[in-house]
Amino acid sequence: MSTAEIDDRDEDLDDEETSEEEEAEDEESDRETVPLEAKKKSGGSAAAHAPKAAVSESGGTDLVRNTWTIARRETHAYFDSLVAYVVIGGSTLGLGIYFFLMQSGGFWQVDRASMSRLFEFMPWALAVLVIPLITMRALAEEKRSGTLELLITMPVRDSEVILGKYFAALVMAAILLGTTLLYPIAMFMWPWHLGALDWGPVWTGYLGLLLFSAAGIAVGMLFSSITESQIIAFFLTAGTLLFLHIIGSVVESLQGVVGDVIAFVSFQTRFQPFERGLLDTRAVIYFLSISIICLLVAFRSLESRKWT
Amino acid sequence: MPTDVMIYANDLSKRFGAFRAVDKINFEVRKGEVVGFLGPNGAGKSTTMRILTCFIAPSDGTARIHGHDVFEEPLAVRRSLGYLPQRAPLYLEMSVLEYLRFAGDLRQLDASTFKTRARNVVEVCGLAQVLGKEIRHLSHGYRQRVGLAQALIHDPPILILDEPTSDLDPNEKAEFLDYLKQIGEERTVLLSTHNLGEVETACARAIIVSRGRVVADGPLDEIRAKSGKVRYVVSIQESAGDQPYRGTGKLPKKTEVEDALQKVKGVRKVSELPTDDRAHAYELTSDQNVDLRADLFKTVVEKGWVLLELARDTQTLEDVFRNLTIGDERRNRKIKAKGEPDEPEPEEEEEEDEGDDEDEDDEDSEEESER
Repeated sequence: MSTAEIDDRDEDLDDEETSEEEEAEDEESDRETVPLEAKKKSGGSAAAHAPKAAVSESGGTDLVRNTWTIARRETHAYFDSLVAYVVIGGSTLGLGIYFFLMQSGGFWQVDRASMSRLFEFMPWALAVLVIPLITMRALAEEKRSGTLELLITMPVRDSEVILGKYFAALVMAAILLGTTLLYPIAMFMWPWHLGALDWGPVWTGYLGLLLFSAAGIAVGMLFSSITESQIIAFFLTAGTLLFLHIIGSVVESLQGVVGDVIAFVSFQTRFQPFERGLLDTRAVIYFLSISIICLLVAFRSLESRKWT
Repeated sequence: MPTDVMIYANDLSKRFGAFRAVDKINFEVRKGEVVGFLGPNGAGKSTTMRILTCFIAPSDGTARIHGHDVFEEPLAVRRSLGYLPQRAPLYLEMSVLEYLRFAGDLRQLDASTFKTRARNVVEVCGLAQVLGKEIRHLSHGYRQRVGLAQALIHDPPILILDEPTSDLDPNEKAEFLDYLKQIGEERTVLLSTHNLGEVETACARAIIVSRGRVVADGPLDEIRAKSGKVRYVVSIQESAGDQPYRGTGKLPKKTEVEDALQKVKGVRKVSELPTDDRAHAYELTSDQNVDLRADLFKTVVEKGWVLLELARDTQTLEDVFRNLTIGDERRNRKIKAKGEPDEPEPEEEEEEDEGDDEDEDDEDSEEESER
């Protein structure tokens, strides 16, 4: 290949990337040159190298930039493998079947312009299938194949690796949720008008699903970080999420402290207000806290490779 | 510490449970040196390299890369390093160019620098034909080149390469060693391998480790001389066949020759070499500071035998390596008896099976290069 061709390729790639990168990296463009200079001077003494390196080491923008680079690669990887298509196609189809056909005629039987069936179905699909599928490979596969070693010995922090992978999985979940939005749009806006839909609960419901995914994916990242096997990561994640969701169903029959505790930790109980069109701050905080705690544990678990 | 010390390891240790994978390793690598890091499988080479690249932390001791402590400033250390782990673990679903771009982004190269550097590494590593190909479709040899390219993309002052040639066929190996010479002109390179030929071609200095310890460190000549032994090969005619026998006495018997050689002053050990029925060939060892050739010749003449061959050489690096690391081999064959100190080998399991499948890999890559 001639050098001119390399240029062409570079430019192709540049074109598609600049638009995405611009917002995220505008402020960093000044910075980028710093470590470079340091490297060019590689022949120079260690002392000359040190202060320049220290500048970029303290920069928070590095964190954004590296996380972004890793997240972008991960998202590409999802679409390069079958995972993305299987997950999106499978769950959209599953949703359609449940929505229109199951439970004695489904949507048509209810005879109301309501999307509540979607919000009954989606948490289950997310918990037992979607989230485990998109998180299982995140760290487990990299550990098994050894690519993690090459990734981590680049100048990136462990936290950037975890966050990059987390956001990539979250983007996948968001794309999936976006796809399911086609149902209400097609039914109530265009091309069909099956009734006057109250859009309020639909938006809060979707926000709830997104928060649900955020927490679930963090749980998945945690399990993916403690094993080298995707299968084990899948089942641990699916099992845990299913458990956290299902315990909500027994709340009604339990009184007192036990019931309160279960209501407190259950994903289902936390998700219900969103379904009804309420924005429950406590639930928002709950889902975000779960995400942060699980990501911290995943981070520690990744770091533990150093000591064992 | 002088500033031209690029890699510095001081009492570096790593324990996995009770097993000491690396046991108080000390060495320094200076600017511009290409150093071979030698040792049998499981000797602690990879572990040491992983510590130097901040992938794992040492249990004890300190290490500095380019003046940065691996513990205190891991990011600065990684910035000044290019690292190629064993077997070049790359993301298989990416194309070569995508992978290099990814590495460039994580190394914080801006677009124009990346272009210049990419063109340079593509040229040095010979990747122009495969830039758009997915890595999963490349042979081991090419994957190794991509691995080397990503290690060089940011023009690092220090390169750490973990068995970079283990998956290559002989042609690729020779080519790789050529690159290494080019690359090594302005860089510090630490190269682990168990192929001694490579070290002799590419490195001026070697560090030999065995069971987690440094057993030899210095210029190759010095290491060769380290065992302090000289080897002789003597062949005496055993049967003249159809030709008339030129010796004065009878054709000698095997034991006669062996006894006579044993009696020469200065000979330490006599061992028979495999030959056909025309000659008796023996290998002799002696101390380094004496030359026995004259005595050997005289002995043969006195007996009236016909001398077919007499050669003297100092030990090859391979012999030294075997002598220094021989314990490892025995340890692997012996089942541990009760009460003996623990020597579990959880660490380099991956390394252990490597020796076995190396041959297969070589065949694979040869096949692929033929295609």
